Amino acid sequence: MEYPRQITAIQAAAILISTIIGVGVLPLPLFAVRDGNSGAPLLTLLGGIIAYIGIWIITKLGIRFPRQSIILYSEAVLGKWTAWIGNVLIIGFFAFLTALAAREFGEVVITSVLKRTPLEVTVIVMLLMASLSSRNDMTTFAYIHHFYLPLIVFPIVLILALSLKNAQFINLLPVWGNEPSPTDMWRGVLTIAALFQGSFVYTMVIPAMRRPDRAMVAGFWGVFIAGGLYVSTVIAAVGVFGPAETNNLLWPTLELAKATSLPGNILERLDAAFLAVWVTAVFTTLFSTYYFTIHAMSRFFRLRDHKLLAPFILPFLFALAMVPQNVVQMYDIIAIAGRLGLLITIVYPLIVLLVAVIRKKRGDAGNGKDAENAS
Amino acid sequence: MTKWEWSKLRSGKKKRAPQIEINRVPDQFTEQHGDKRITGDLEQTIAFVNGLLGDNGDFMQRRFDVFGAFPAVMFSFSNMSDTALVNTDILKPLMHVPAHLTGIQFDVHELKDVILRDTLYHGKASSDDRFAMIVESLLRGGTVIVVDGMDEAIMVETTKVEKRAIDQPETEQVIRGPREGFIEQLGTNLSLLRYRLPTTDLKIKSMKLGRVTKSRVAVCYLKGIVSDALVQEVENRLSVIDIDGVLDVGYLEQFIEDNNFSPFPQVQNTERTDKAVANLLEGRVVILVDGSPFALIVPTVFNQFYQTTEDYSERFVMVSFIRLARLLALAFSLITPSLYVAIIAFNPELIPTKFAVAVSGGRAGIPFPSVVEVLMMEASMEVLREATLRLPQQIGGALSIVGVLVVGQAAVSAGFVSPITVVVIALTTIGSFATPAYNAALALRLLRFPLVILAAMFGLYGVMVGLILIANHLLSLRSFGVPYLSPVVPGNFDSMKDTVARAPLWSMKKRPAMLHTPNDDRVGGSVMDELKEPPHNTLDPLKVGNHKEEMKIGISSSNNGDTGGSDSH
Repeated sequence: MEYPRQITAIQAAAILISTIIGVGVLPLPLFAVRDGNSGAPLLTLLGGIIAYIGIWIITKLGIRFPRQSIILYSEAVLGKWTAWIGNVLIIGFFAFLTALAAREFGEVVITSVLKRTPLEVTVIVMLLMASLSSRNDMTTFAYIHHFYLPLIVFPIVLILALSLKNAQFINLLPVWGNEPSPTDMWRGVLTIAALFQGSFVYTMVIPAMRRPDRAMVAGFWGVFIAGGLYVSTVIAAVGVFGPAETNNLLWPTLELAKATSLPGNILERLDAAFLAVWVTAVFTTLFSTYYFTIHAMSRFFRLRDHKLLAPFILPFLFALAMVPQNVVQMYDIIAIAGRLGLLITIVYPLIVLLVAVIRKKRGDAGNGKDAENAS
Repeated sequence: MTKWEWSKLRSGKKKRAPQIEINRVPDQFTEQHGDKRITGDLEQTIAFVNGLLGDNGDFMQRRFDVFGAFPAVMFSFSNMSDTALVNTDILKPLMHVPAHLTGIQFDVHELKDVILRDTLYHGKASSDDRFAMIVESLLRGGTVIVVDGMDEAIMVETTKVEKRAIDQPETEQVIRGPREGFIEQLGTNLSLLRYRLPTTDLKIKSMKLGRVTKSRVAVCYLKGIVSDALVQEVENRLSVIDIDGVLDVGYLEQFIEDNNFSPFPQVQNTERTDKAVANLLEGRVVILVDGSPFALIVPTVFNQFYQTTEDYSERFVMVSFIRLARLLALAFSLITPSLYVAIIAFNPELIPTKFAVAVSGGRAGIPFPSVVEVLMMEASMEVLREATLRLPQQIGGALSIVGVLVVGQAAVSAGFVSPITVVVIALTTIGSFATPAYNAALALRLLRFPLVILAAMFGLYGVMVGLILIANHLLSLRSFGVPYLSPVVPGNFDSMKDTVARAPLWSMKKRPAMLHTPNDDRVGGSVMDELKEPPHNTLDPLKVGNHKEEMKIGISSSNNGDTGGSDSH
């Protein structure tokens, strides 16, 4: 009757959803519209499907090696030195991802709410929050995501529902976009798929799951719900503003919140409140990637505990976050780094999986010597 | 290494220390004469006991002859033992030979058995030859009889310490439910528990803590319902405590809690017997200490702090509603002032325009920024609260009137604070009073201040950052391994029936899953089926009438004499 208290399928799905939904939702309709025009929702859907393929691959790997994270089993599969390169790239990429997310949200905050606060302060506050919380164990990691899930999903659903009264269906036509060019479409799909790649933390979650065989179901629901919210956000933004107007907005989702108001006039405007609640969504994303970075590092250096690393990488992340000169450059970097990141988060696991299948490598399902403890 | 392991290690070190520095142990007697035994020589014993305790004014020593033949002495602390009982049940039978013993001659070796078995009229009598035991019995109010030539002393428990009456606990008043609370005496408290749980499964393990106070600690649990590992862990954590005095159960709480630095209480305390019993039935462990009217309940989750025993006596719809109100009060007490500061200082555009105009009108002429205003008011409110708490009730009333006037009306008319600030502070204060558990309300009261400061620095963003940090802390807390926010996170649907809402008693069939009880059935399996049967409406007027149709006398017919004619109206 008693299970070891570990991560359940619901918690795993919650981790995926709250990791994927983050600061990326704010510029999401812009990314989609820039390359897909009125075909933005379709583009987002395709991006989601590519992201799901990525999740499918790492879940397959996770089920194949149910007691190890990717850092360890890639070494077993590819050989120590080959995997070493991949793992360094993974750790570096996630550090970069964390830094950029903190920077992006810092920009949002100083642009729309705290206009006189220096950017450095908002960035460091977010990073500090993630750093402090990363000192917890894996179980608490899952609890935190589980707890915040309603706080993340509810406001965005509310905003979407309220904005529908301003939406016009004609803005969404034609569904495939005006004169779509395959290169643009392809680039857009990849950019959108890159917004999902926080989900790579799943490689760290599966070994801690109570039943790794349920990882596939949890993975599907996680990406399905997060992807569904992504598509709905794009539909709502394009439906309200139209493709041409969306193209001119930096954070269309935030504008969407500005354009809606609660019935009964309780709050005059929603954007500041929305942004305040959105801190949670950004926090969970940052927390996931931050945690993944130090967790992967601790596995990489064969440390028993990741807690010490939490404050250690903070200054490096802060320095990384300060690299882009301004918002425009930051979004260029995010788009390029994101697309290149797909090589790490989708192609690299695919190679590992293929090699594992060819070499018939398989992790032991039981509590072997190399078992990673969840707590 | 968790905090607990650390503190264990630390107290482990502490425990080893007395062996090295033996003089530090305050109880000198046990150190010097720990294994000294009584001899048959009466004078030697008297000299020894007198040397040890004779300086005390309340120490009493009385020489007499047992059955008029054997010289003996009786020791006791006069104010701690029941003199009437000592006279009638101990001295009288010993001095005046009982009827069934007259004419029989005893040897001094048989005397112990004769006294214990045939003479004394007292239930709690025993014999021992170790001075340590004898002295302890004396210090706890016992009466000790030493007979010349007998190599063991007879100890009778005649303790009589004044105790107050059992009355309704002041800290946990209920409108509906039992009104008895624990008192200071451990014995009485245990009897109150036994009275409600007449089962062999109620186990009470006792131990002594405190080098000087030697306080008796009782660990109570229901075997078969509680997880055995939990009992073991509680005993382990208690056994490492080494302190000179345990004056209240709160001393123990601080030693056994998981995170000493958290503002949130991880152990619940209660004065109510029914609450203790309810928690025993859920599979928790209750810890009592002699001298404290509070019981500790472990493990504890956050939910318990806004629940009361009354919730289970009242009907479930009403209770769920009241619990919602309490949660609202909790939220008020934590975030109202910081939200106010954040909105006024950073995002006045959020509130409706008309109201914003009213607010700024009220604030016109106030020299301070809203955060200073709020902090000042909060501080004075805390002072006022502390002041009324300590004062005698008669003055307390007067003070609260003055305080309310000063903090409320006068401060506003003096142009010191704005009326809306007063409203906000009032909401906060009322909110923290509405929380049933004082220690949980205290935690939120404390956390309000950093939140206000964060709000003043970063607006709504700061409030959110603060709340996230608090929530993360709550999520990482454990009480004896039970996640603090369970059963919400990690979720368990059966246990969630008793969180914000309370499901009907018959639908809560399981004990809380987070406690891992070996026996989790609370409600019998067939109860639901029986409840679903259509009820027998025995007193339905139609049925009663039909049944007694033959007996016409004194019973109206089922149509009440109406012949059904249309002319009746």
